[in-house]
Amino acid sequence: MSTQTFLTGNGDSRETLVVIFLRGAADGLSLVAPIEEDAYFRARPRIAIKKKEAVPLDGFFGLHPLLGELEPAWKEGDFAIVHGAGSEDQTRSHFEAQDLMEHGGLAAGGWLGRFLRARPEATSGALSCVAVGRLLPESLLGAPSATVMENLGDFSLGANSPGFARELQRLYARESDRLSVAARDTFDAIGRLDAMRSATYQPANGAVYDPKDDFAQGLQQIARLIKGRVGLEAASIDIGGWDSHFTQQTVIEPLLKRLGGGLAAFRRDLGADFQRTTVVVMTEFGRRVQENSAFGTDHGRGSVMFVLGGGVRGGRVHGPWPGLKEEHLEGPGDVPVINNYRNVLAPILRKHGATQESLASVFPGFELKPVGLYA
Amino acid sequence: MNLSRRHFFALGAGALAAAAGGCDQEKQAGASLLRWVGKPTAPPLEGPLTAPAAVEIDETSHVLNRLTFGPRPGEYARVAALGTAAFIEEQLAPERIDDWMCDRVIRHEFDELNEPESHLFPRRGDQKDPLQQLFPALKERGARVGDLYDIPEQALLSDITRATILRAVLSKRQLYEVIAGFWSDHFNIDPSKGECRWLKPADDRDVIRAHALGNFRELVRASAISPAMLWYLDGRVNRRKSPEEKPNENYARELMELHTLGVHGGYSQQDVMEVARCLTGWTVRDKHRWQKGKVEFDPKEHDDGAKLVLGQTIPAGLGAADLDRVLEIVVRHPSTARHIATKLCRHFIDDQPPKSAINTVAGVFAQTDGEIRHTLRALFSTPEFLQTRGNKLKRPFHFVASALRVTNAKTDGAQPIANALLRMGHAPFRYPTPDGYPEAANHWTNTLLWRWNFAANLAENKLKGTEIDAAGLREKLGGDAALAATVLGRIPTAEEEQAYRGSGAGLALLLSTPAFQRC
Repeated sequence: MSTQTFLTGNGDSRETLVVIFLRGAADGLSLVAPIEEDAYFRARPRIAIKKKEAVPLDGFFGLHPLLGELEPAWKEGDFAIVHGAGSEDQTRSHFEAQDLMEHGGLAAGGWLGRFLRARPEATSGALSCVAVGRLLPESLLGAPSATVMENLGDFSLGANSPGFARELQRLYARESDRLSVAARDTFDAIGRLDAMRSATYQPANGAVYDPKDDFAQGLQQIARLIKGRVGLEAASIDIGGWDSHFTQQTVIEPLLKRLGGGLAAFRRDLGADFQRTTVVVMTEFGRRVQENSAFGTDHGRGSVMFVLGGGVRGGRVHGPWPGLKEEHLEGPGDVPVINNYRNVLAPILRKHGATQESLASVFPGFELKPVGLYA
Repeated sequence: MNLSRRHFFALGAGALAAAAGGCDQEKQAGASLLRWVGKPTAPPLEGPLTAPAAVEIDETSHVLNRLTFGPRPGEYARVAALGTAAFIEEQLAPERIDDWMCDRVIRHEFDELNEPESHLFPRRGDQKDPLQQLFPALKERGARVGDLYDIPEQALLSDITRATILRAVLSKRQLYEVIAGFWSDHFNIDPSKGECRWLKPADDRDVIRAHALGNFRELVRASAISPAMLWYLDGRVNRRKSPEEKPNENYARELMELHTLGVHGGYSQQDVMEVARCLTGWTVRDKHRWQKGKVEFDPKEHDDGAKLVLGQTIPAGLGAADLDRVLEIVVRHPSTARHIATKLCRHFIDDQPPKSAINTVAGVFAQTDGEIRHTLRALFSTPEFLQTRGNKLKRPFHFVASALRVTNAKTDGAQPIANALLRMGHAPFRYPTPDGYPEAANHWTNTLLWRWNFAANLAENKLKGTEIDAAGLREKLGGDAALAATVLGRIPTAEEEQAYRGSGAGLALLLSTPAFQRC
């Protein structure tokens, strides 16, 4: 058995999937606005993104100006957008929709957990999967091992005695079976993490993570694990607070700044390693096209997903866009879900090693029609 | 005052209603409810505490390793005096073991686990609830009448998890707990699917634990019409109201693939479809507040035509009795005896179970019509079982329980223990797919770091709700050498002794050794 199937730390080039969940239903029409569509401005006389302020994308859509730091990723082809993304859940309930989306259907465990378990080499390392925060998200339920961490200090050998590690290392080295290999890989990884912790971290390529922003700091920890090659295969991190019923701009503007700034720093810091990383940004549903009387928007259906990383067909908005004319809207006037979130995740999971067959267990009871995110 | 779990939740909810608080307060109240846990408990050390004195794992240590979640101090001496054969017989008859302490802890702390499943559902539609009318003040304060007696979902999961941990650590009916864990994997249900979250406690009680050492067919039958299983594998929506409606095959397939014949057991896709037809009409009641979760058979949704299952005809018109015909066919199938024997031998003997032992065990399973007690007795008498020692890697749950047992830890079994298991990927009731946690060592070797950290945290008393008296234990056992032999189940090697002394963290080191990871 190769050592790669264990806790690695052996400098392998494992690919990492980073899942960012925007909790509270982020407004897809503010993140990526159809700035060439009159219906958009008619529906949102007071809160539409102004055409001249938006970052032009493909001649039709424009990125929210506070996501402007992502423009280089778009131009360099590392950043793809899927509009009209969401799930089949029609309750417009945050809880129900997040639950469905994270479980990946009426199924036990979460889609990311099942993916990690269903791969041919599911016996991967102890540091293969981390959730940044205090709780394990539902999407990671059922993962072979998942570590909830707030910072890198959570990964260390607990005992307060230098002799403990030394003696353990010696005892395990005497073993002849797989335990000895597993122990060696574990000590390698601990060594890498110890080195990481003791060094003052200097993000590469001039990247700057906002020191006061938990999200940016979380991404920095993930970047360090990726660069430290400890065998990280999946990471999850959230930004909450997108439920903008009331004065939408004041609610989401700080969040957009954090999202854009954090992602841009992460990409810059990773440099070449970004090519073996995929970042997916998702939310439970989008918001009503028509603004409400309180300068806000109510619960809707389709929103937007971002996919950034190596190999993605970036610089384009994937999937058809029916437009915001009334006859194309759903229910009380919502962007329809044209791209089921599973059809966005499936090609990403394929790229990260899922077999075609295993996708059926990751997303049970759903006929996949993957979005063409990869060539 | 004898305060029940339900009273406790009601008090919390009452306080909540009185506070009339906003979201944050609610969360805080919820968090404090979840922290209600009992007093850490450990049984007193009794009898002689003589440690193992052999250089290798002897038969006594071996039998303790495999039939229990690890020996407590003193257990080696007791079993050595009793003899392993008598110990095996004792463990095969758990109903005759006086287990008052564990029984009392479980009864006292988890009274809601004894309630019918219909009582565990949260009450929705409160406005129509007559009780809501009686307490108008509740509504005014933004509370639901259900808050007075609903068991919070997270508390329920944490309670069955804690009960499972505490039983593994405290119970004297150790083999019963081990085999209950085995069936819990074999008939795995992840409570996070749909309403399984309310139904799994009853499945654990009325299916797994009720039949763990009973008859296999009874066990499968109980599982087949367990509300949690009907939810988990979609049996509840397996119906045929019209000739066009296709049955849902999910349960029928897993019944043969996982629960009985095994994946290469000789059934076809046609058999799956026919079994699914036989089981149409069984469902779980969804409405009627006090009967929610009740299982019923609806003849109108049953396909009552003739079926052909594994070459045997089931005549038309049997209705609900199709179920027993199907179970008779699949349970008596020779592949089932082999499949169950193989899994038992893998669990109790070796990841690559020896064919000779499988043959013996499968033979007794078939002869006794699936009597689990007889089947296990036969397994424990095989020379392969008695001679294959120290070769299995403990799965994380076994490792954690054995560490708590051998250190005579006082524990409440609460969050820090469950979190450690979650981190090692082996928390009870958290496996998503119906095949249950894997058995073989290669799935678990990646957990060493978390094992070592658990050992260190336990030895240094850093786990909230769990405490050990390391110095007292060492003294009672008679010193370092006896402590090491008690933990390892044999005299330590020269290297282990040196590591113990050189580590500066002797007990943590012993619990982290390769030897303690094995059983």
